Amino acid sequence: MAKEAEKSMELLQGTLDMLVLKAVSLGPLHGYGVLLRIQQISQNRLEVQQGSLYPALYRLEHEGWIAGEWGQSENKRRARFYRLTAAGRRRLEAEAKKWNQFADVVGAILGADSA
Amino acid sequence: MSLHSRISTWWRAVWRGTDVDAQVDEELRFHIESYAEDLMRGGLAREQAMRRARAELGSLAATRENARQAFGTRGFDELRGDVRYALRMLAKTPGFAAIAVGSLALGIGANTAIFSIAKHVLLDRLDVPHADQLRLLEWTSKQNSAVHSIWGDWNHGWDGVYSSSFSYPAYRAMRQQNRDLQDLFAFKGAGLMDVTVNGQAEVVQSELVSGNYYQQMQVTPQLGRAIGPADDQQGAGSVAVISDGYWAKRFNRSPSVIGRSILVNLQPVTIIGVNPPGFTGAKSVQTSPEVFAPLAIEPQLVGTREWNDSLLASPQHWWLQVMARAKPGVRDATAQAQLSTTLESAVKTLMKPTAGEALPRVLVTDGSRGQHEADGQLGQPLHVLMALVGMVLLLACANIANLLLARSSARQREMSVRLALGAGRGRILRQVLTESLLLAVCGGALGLLVGYAGQHALLLLTADPSGEASPMPTSFSWGVFAFNAVLSLVTGVLFGVAPALKATRTQVQSGLKDSMHTATRRRRGYAGKAIVGFQVAVSMLLVAGAGVFLRTLVNLHRIDPGFDTRNLVLFDINPPTSRYAGAKTAAMFRQIEERLAATPGVESVAPESTPLLADNMSNDDFAPEGMVAKKGDNTSELDNEVGRGFFTAMRIPMLAGRGFSSQDTATSRLVAVVNEALAKKYWGSASPIGRTFATSDAHGKKLVYTIVGVCANTRYANLRDDPPPIFFLDYQQSMEISWGITFAVRTRSERTAITPSLRAAVQSVDHDLPLIDVRTQKEQIDQITMEERVLADLTGGFGILALVLASIGIYGVMAYSVAQRTNEIGIRMALGALPGKVLRMVLGEASWLVLLGMAVGLGGALALGRMVASMLFGLKPYDPETLAGAVIVLSLVALGASWIPAQRAARVDPMRALRSE
Repeated sequence: MAKEAEKSMELLQGTLDMLVLKAVSLGPLHGYGVLLRIQQISQNRLEVQQGSLYPALYRLEHEGWIAGEWGQSENKRRARFYRLTAAGRRRLEAEAKKWNQFADVVGAILGADSA
Repeated sequence: MSLHSRISTWWRAVWRGTDVDAQVDEELRFHIESYAEDLMRGGLAREQAMRRARAELGSLAATRENARQAFGTRGFDELRGDVRYALRMLAKTPGFAAIAVGSLALGIGANTAIFSIAKHVLLDRLDVPHADQLRLLEWTSKQNSAVHSIWGDWNHGWDGVYSSSFSYPAYRAMRQQNRDLQDLFAFKGAGLMDVTVNGQAEVVQSELVSGNYYQQMQVTPQLGRAIGPADDQQGAGSVAVISDGYWAKRFNRSPSVIGRSILVNLQPVTIIGVNPPGFTGAKSVQTSPEVFAPLAIEPQLVGTREWNDSLLASPQHWWLQVMARAKPGVRDATAQAQLSTTLESAVKTLMKPTAGEALPRVLVTDGSRGQHEADGQLGQPLHVLMALVGMVLLLACANIANLLLARSSARQREMSVRLALGAGRGRILRQVLTESLLLAVCGGALGLLVGYAGQHALLLLTADPSGEASPMPTSFSWGVFAFNAVLSLVTGVLFGVAPALKATRTQVQSGLKDSMHTATRRRRGYAGKAIVGFQVAVSMLLVAGAGVFLRTLVNLHRIDPGFDTRNLVLFDINPPTSRYAGAKTAAMFRQIEERLAATPGVESVAPESTPLLADNMSNDDFAPEGMVAKKGDNTSELDNEVGRGFFTAMRIPMLAGRGFSSQDTATSRLVAVVNEALAKKYWGSASPIGRTFATSDAHGKKLVYTIVGVCANTRYANLRDDPPPIFFLDYQQSMEISWGITFAVRTRSERTAITPSLRAAVQSVDHDLPLIDVRTQKEQIDQITMEERVLADLTGGFGILALVLASIGIYGVMAYSVAQRTNEIGIRMALGALPGKVLRMVLGEASWLVLLGMAVGLGGALALGRMVASMLFGLKPYDPETLAGAVIVLSLVALGASWIPAQRAARVDPMRALRSE
């Protein structure tokens, strides 16, 4: 997992929900799987606090964006799998759009020439 | 975001918390193990890997907690915590909790019971569609009215006569001419009738109704059909509709009741329908007559009695109630004017009044509550009770306010500590609010029970011994309960939260240091003292009220009615006119009298046409011969037709001459006995024996009686009025007994024990004659003094309740004051004050509070006393003895309540008091 040598980034406030939604949008995952997938996609450049992962999952489930179900893991153990709901997909799209616009604006400001 | 998932996750977290926790645990365990396996694959030892996995995930408990919060249960969890904390606080001070909840429960309960009844008696409408459209016709005329004979309600106002009874021809005329109201309809609460079902005779209430009654009332029977215009015609078959209650009681709700033939006053009548459950007829909202029959069969059912013509044909006898629905857009005044014109001309042509007689005018009044006679009977006592019970609730609320105030002061320190530890102000207020609401809710729940029980107790208290329906409702008024509960909730919240608001506004530091400053501070607690003063004032009112009503009852019971009321069993016999008339009636009564006298256990029998002390009256012309009546003199006197055994059986002493005996028969000389008051009124000190007077029978025929005896005075209709002049006739020589006779039987047996043999004796004469309203003379007196009894019982109960609440209030405030001043008292004692002086100081503080309250209360009692003056007997509303008694009782209670705190103060150990802070 996280290699101590490499310097990883802290998550920005409020982006964890979006990342979780994105992770499960690629297929149902259990909590640990969500963690692994985010790290895998980010190539270990993002550090997700394990303690805040589960409250985020429960919050998203409470909002109805993901749905949890008990199933069997790769190593034949009982695990809770989360999948994206239709509402969750709409939410993810909206969040992603907002994020991209925000990133564009911030990028444009930071990239502006002094002239 | 989906509402469904929000609710379902919240629901699971709240109600299946342990399930959710277990799931979270399992999920986290899986996470730790998976992570640990990955770490082991990277070369770590198992133990190390597990430790590291656990550490990175953080505290399990915190995650669990976070999970619950994610499900939106934070508010709920806090509330649950608050409730748990509040329960623990209350459990720690069970005395406080019991007093607060108890006084609220009693206040709410008593109010709910009384106001439910008041609402039912004074406000509830007839259970028919659009009852607000209903109008009841009344008439009024000057004192010398053209209407002489009224069967029904009749009031003498200062400005004339009022009645809601019309003659049948007058009703017909008005109905025909009426333009401004919808179709007029008529009814008559025709009183008790003998009904025989399956050979069982019993007595039930009846109502006679016009053919369009059901149509206009818009009532459809739940079974069978209604009485229609075709049934209300001469020669139509005799039919009846029965009430839901009677259907259930006598026919077990059997549908086969339709078409059954029953005997009503010995007339065969066919049942055609059953009224819907809520329908009570047009007479009152409270109880329903059992049998409804068309007016057309009045001649068969009610009979002609001593009138030779049918009531339906007679323009002289006024007896019928008339109602109608209002027409939309037409004002009552318009209808009133038009109907008055019609009535006046009808009276002129039908009754041919003499020149000096006043003609009646029609009044269109509210008919939404039927004939509502109960208003007049129960209105005034109910208003008094409502006022008193309202005060009880005020007292209870004051008590709660007081207790909560004292308590919040005592908890000032606790709140400061919690504020200092970082609790938000809102959080603390919420906690206090939870506690207050918890108290109020417990009080309300108990109050519901008290109210329910109270209402049933009132039903028992006012029940007729004969089992006749009481005018009280059997249903519980939720609206009234809700009102009272909300009121006490508001009190609880207001007086619970207001001090907390103040307490949390103060600086934490001053709150914590506060106790050091209280040595001489007295300012605090003004609110509490004001409340206690108020409580004493209200208690004074209630105790004084209880006093005057109790003394009224005692005074009434001290009255010697002039005859022996013990060991008398009374019942009425009401012979159907279709079977008995004239001399036949007298012979039948004579036979019953003899059979009763021969019954084992019966000492003597007193037949009387007007039972004594039963609110009954009868009067007839009384013109002593040889005296010229002065103009304007009352020419009638009260009378009573009695049997031979009357004076002996009732133990009324004969002062001169003789009573009636076997020598007086229908054919012998007409004789009379007068009482002392009548003899004195007409003949002064001279003996009336041998004098004659004239009276008239029902047909107006003049009859001359000779006085043969003078008996001692007795009370007549009630206990309140002084013994009036009365003349007694032998019923064997009288015609006016076809209305029925009351037999008073003197016996040493219990009423219930002797009733079967009395019934057997009567039925050996005529099997179809039921005994009506079997009761003892004592029960009869209880019945006519019901208002006084109920008022005395309830005001007495409220008075005691008030004393208890006030003493709790005084005790609470004084105990609190002493506790707050422990330090000061310690200093005083250290400086040399003796315990006796401290005791006096504390008592003195309590006494000015009580004195002030009592003064205010006395003023209130004097002011309100005038309103109940007419309900009292044998004393003035400002009865000095009662008021003095109330002052003494209150002073003693106040002294007792402040004695314990004062004692505690006097026993303060100076050293410990000084060190205690």
